[in-house]
Amino acid sequence: MLALLALLSACATPTPAPPKSGASELEAVPFFPQAQYQCGPAALATVLVHSGVATTPAALVPQVYLPGRQGSLQLELMAAARRAGRIAYTLDTTAQALLAELEAGHPVLVMQNLGLESAPRWHYAVVIGYQPEQQRVVLRSGTQYRKLESWRAFMGSWARAEFWGLVIPPPGELPASSTADAIGPYLAGQEGQLDPAILRAAWEKALARWPQDPDLMFATANARRSAAEPESAAALYRRLLLQAPEHMPARNNFADLLLSTGCRRAAATIIGPAVSVAQRLSPAARDAIISTSAAIANHLSRPSPDPEYCRALIQGLS
Amino acid sequence: MMKTRLFILLQIFTLVIASTVGTAQAAVIGTADHFAQQSRADQLIHINALFAKDAVAQHMADMGVNAEDVLARINALSDAELQQLAQNLDDLPAGSGILGVLGALFVVLLVLELLGLSNVFSKL
Repeated sequence: MLALLALLSACATPTPAPPKSGASELEAVPFFPQAQYQCGPAALATVLVHSGVATTPAALVPQVYLPGRQGSLQLELMAAARRAGRIAYTLDTTAQALLAELEAGHPVLVMQNLGLESAPRWHYAVVIGYQPEQQRVVLRSGTQYRKLESWRAFMGSWARAEFWGLVIPPPGELPASSTADAIGPYLAGQEGQLDPAILRAAWEKALARWPQDPDLMFATANARRSAAEPESAAALYRRLLLQAPEHMPARNNFADLLLSTGCRRAAATIIGPAVSVAQRLSPAARDAIISTSAAIANHLSRPSPDPEYCRALIQGLS
Repeated sequence: MMKTRLFILLQIFTLVIASTVGTAQAAVIGTADHFAQQSRADQLIHINALFAKDAVAQHMADMGVNAEDVLARINALSDAELQQLAQNLDDLPAGSGILGVLGALFVVLLVLELLGLSNVFSKL
């Protein structure tokens, strides 16, 4: 129902006026003329090769083309990007986002409906430039190396495809238009689907852009620990807890890390506040905290003190 | 046919087992779990993923995708994506491109021509 409403409102929205500035053309973006019905593999190859992947439309056909539909689905384009070791980010659906990406050097793979609402003709093309004076968009599209479309016509066909757009930046780069609120859940949703090193690079980049965001700190610290870098992970958990002492998942994971490095008493100090509120947290967090504190208690039965280096790891938190 | 289907199912089963074992970590709260807490729907998605995988694999095979390609393709999809495809594989927009449009136009013109309603081709 919501989707339907969104669709209706999308139809009712008049085409936004063409922006006055933002002239750009990414001339280095490669071109692969499409074979029949295969604009999906061609457009995907265009952005993947631009991001540094060695591939061709022919190599992507078995990954994204659905013979029974004579076309390619959006989700499968995104999945194929992951298979190539890249993260495909869906675009915030505004003209500003489109221009921001072009300015950052990211071509935008868009879906267009070249037909009617009632009789759609779905097409993928790659926006590589914008000409504010002529009010035109420059595309790699179908069999045309440099297709010029009027802003009105382009925005109309893009609106009929719900302004769907995709950016595939080189590893360790984020879309220019992404926000802190959106990037965390989006990257978290890619966990398990991607090489952890690629995801970790994206977390680090997100943290560098929004250094105060607690959940980005948490995710990046987890990624560092998974990459067997306990020291930099510990430093980040500590920084997070200094800023947000109430971040209980961070307390749990930091305590678990401290315990594994032989800092039992430090671990007990960190997990303490989490245990008292565990019942109010989500079942997964609660269970983890109970199990971590039990493990710590188990180790504490031995009377020996923590090694010297432990104190620095939790400095300011005890 | 039966054999490849069985092979796909077996592979899916192994993968699901492998991924379940992998996530059963000690007491660390995973990043995905942490962000997923915000929407309870994610838990349902996980439960249904097994069924979705099966359904999507079958559907793709029926649509003419090779058995090995089917396997690689469904393995590249997340649980949430599989759910979406399982429900909408026939309805989600599938971009095919402008050659198709020209083809359709050609057919329309050809029909008009054959019916004697136009003379686009006779002038060529």
